Amino acid sequence: MAGKVDCEKLCPLWPCEDPSEFKGVWVVAEADENGIHEASLQMLTPARKIAEKLGSDVTGVLVGYNVKQYADEMIKYGADRVIVVDDPAFEMYAPDVYGDAVVQLAKKYKPEVILVAATMRGREMAPYIANTLRTGITADCTDFDVDEKTKDVLLIRPPFGAIMLAYIKTPLRRPQIGTARPNVFPLPPRDDSRTGEIVEEKVEPRKPRVRLVKRQIIPRSEVPIEKAEVIVSGGKGVGGPEGFKLLEELAKLLGGVVAGSRKAVDAGWIPHEKQVGQTGKSVKPILYIAVGISGAAQHMFGVREAGVVAAINIDPEAPIFKQADYGVVADYREVIPAMIELLKKAREKGSLEEVLAATKQT
Amino acid sequence: MRIVVGIKWVPNTQAVRFDPKTGTLIREGVPSVVNPHDLPAVELALQLRDRYGGEVIAITMAPPSAMKGLEHVLGMGIDRAVLITDRAFAGADTLATSYVLAEGIKKIEKDIGKVDLAVFGQETIDSSTAHIGAQVASWLDWPYIYYVHKAELAREGVLLVERRLEDRVEWYEIELPGVISVAMKALKPRPVSLIRKIRVKQENPVIVWTNKELGLDTRCIGLKGSPTIVSKVTFTPEVPRKKVVYKPRDGLDAAVWLLEQLAKDEKAGKVIERAVRGEF
Ligand SMILES: Cc1cc2nc3c(=O)[nH]c(=O)nc-3n(C[C@H](O)[C@H](O)[C@H](O)COP(=O)(O)OP(=O)(O)OC[C@H]3O[C@@H](n4cnc5c(N)ncnc54)[C@H](O)[C@@H]3O)c2cc1C
Ligand SMILES: Nc1ncnc2c1ncn2[C@@H]1O[C@H](COP(=O)(O)O)[C@@H](O)[C@H]1O
Repeated sequence: MAGKVDCEKLCPLWPCEDPSEFKGVWVVAEADENGIHEASLQMLTPARKIAEKLGSDVTGVLVGYNVKQYADEMIKYGADRVIVVDDPAFEMYAPDVYGDAVVQLAKKYKPEVILVAATMRGREMAPYIANTLRTGITADCTDFDVDEKTKDVLLIRPPFGAIMLAYIKTPLRRPQIGTARPNVFPLPPRDDSRTGEIVEEKVEPRKPRVRLVKRQIIPRSEVPIEKAEVIVSGGKGVGGPEGFKLLEELAKLLGGVVAGSRKAVDAGWIPHEKQVGQTGKSVKPILYIAVGISGAAQHMFGVREAGVVAAINIDPEAPIFKQADYGVVADYREVIPAMIELLKKAREKGSLEEVLAATKQT
Repeated sequence: MRIVVGIKWVPNTQAVRFDPKTGTLIREGVPSVVNPHDLPAVELALQLRDRYGGEVIAITMAPPSAMKGLEHVLGMGIDRAVLITDRAFAGADTLATSYVLAEGIKKIEKDIGKVDLAVFGQETIDSSTAHIGAQVASWLDWPYIYYVHKAELAREGVLLVERRLEDRVEWYEIELPGVISVAMKALKPRPVSLIRKIRVKQENPVIVWTNKELGLDTRCIGLKGSPTIVSKVTFTPEVPRKKVVYKPRDGLDAAVWLLEQLAKDEKAGKVIERAVRGEF
């Protein structure tokens, strides 16, 4: 017996270990030439919450080449310590090579929890880490909690559409591993006065069996939706590509970008990389204007972190009105041109208040 | 080349409805389909075979009803199919599923011949974890790459793939045998040929393996072989919102009201102000 685990009952391919020997919450971070990805820093938010409930602390883990310089960033955002593997052997990313480095560290330090941001690389690497450690993994968590009695971490995710939430436990195995999509959790407040330990580690890099032969950065002419502060988002109700031109005009005036629902993407009015929702992206604009979107749970899943949600929908019964801050029951084809007109006038006059007051009088 | 492609027979989630009275999902009468994100994987495997020769074998771990899904991809041109089915596999999480699939691939190697490449879809529409590809690679100890859009042989035993991440396109060479996961919508799947489907059915190439054939330790499969368990299921809590709804006289009235609310709003006010100043 290893603690509460009966080794005889366990799959013999898994190491039999006592869960109570595992301590601490890890965030495995992703870094590139621009530093640590914001999505990885966001994971420090749930990591702190779990660590508090477990009475434990938070460790950042950073693997790569020339990455040591960024380690301190994780401390500023809430890590208590950062384990860094900085080695030319990790100049090229390969999911199994990077994953194996984390596996070696996890075998040495025995963390209780490992969180990974579900960026594309994170989604690629995290299941390899979990499987190689022969433990469970829960993808795309939207929340975490701790079972008061057993101290098991509850990894919470929407299993089937976004209507229901499943609470997933890993009672007999450690570490407990979970990923969360970018922007599902807010960035923790940055605190420049925070200090913490930076531990430099060495691992035995495994021989890569893939080779990066070329890479090309995709030039971006505009802000991607996950970074935008204003989003004008269109759904099936927009009716076609001409409607999206109107949304585009409003978005430009507001300094924002256009996005869409899955139905708008499926209709081909907007590309998939601009889809908001469970199978698209989570966004965190200050203002999200939903136009001709009914408000399905899978769509609204993507706007949990939006500051303000406004809705324009012709149907007073549309579920979006119960999930928006400000809703107008109207045809967008009448509302949006009027908004564009008013904003243009306001910009000329230098005051929206005046323009609105004058309009109300006529 | 011998290529194995993993497919899953899933309920069409688009058709699943929710009963707010009972708080349950209504799955009755919901038709199943081959996971749509597996079809580009099937297409890529078929294109490689068409170009370099060899065969493509579909594999699924599923209840017997998944035979229909295998027939579908056989109709697309898959050469043979393996259905791994046993009550002992029920309740598997992704670790236990990937274990059985990896053992299935090993048995294909033993019974049929060396496998050069295992191809998976990016994710399924019913669980969308995107775990299986990496986990199978971990069990087999093969190299792997996700989000593949194109693949060709660079030379004997080395596959060159193009893959796309958020902000970049990358070209990787993978030593075979290896695993790739094909990006959603990366390729347009070819249609099912009815004649093929009928012919293939007559020749009956679907191989069925239960755990008798695989002989896996029951502690490593199904529910017992799954480290994760679902402890409860609840409604998704609502995000608190103001929920102010206005019924305007006309479009202009609506525009005035909405802009007024937004300008007054603590958070949105800032962006409206900026828009008026034209400063971004
Ligand atoms: C597993 C799963 C994952 C999913 N993932 C996503 C996802 O990531 N993102 C996503 O968006 N969806 C997703 N969906 C689909 C989702 O369930 C909905 O089908 C979809 O969001 C509906 O899109 P919509 O609101 O544009 O269309 P509809 O639901 O058809 O709504 C159109 C709305 O437009 C209104 N309208 C019509 N004309 C006008 C007009 N002239 N002016 C104003 N309003 C008008 C109508 O009243 C209606 O409310 C997913 C579904 C499943 C099962
Ligand atoms: N039961 C299964 N049998 C065969 N292949 C599967 C099975 N489940 C998942 N896959 C494959 O793994 C991919 C990723 O699935 P998932 O990790 O469930 O999102 C799918 O696109 C399929 O190619």
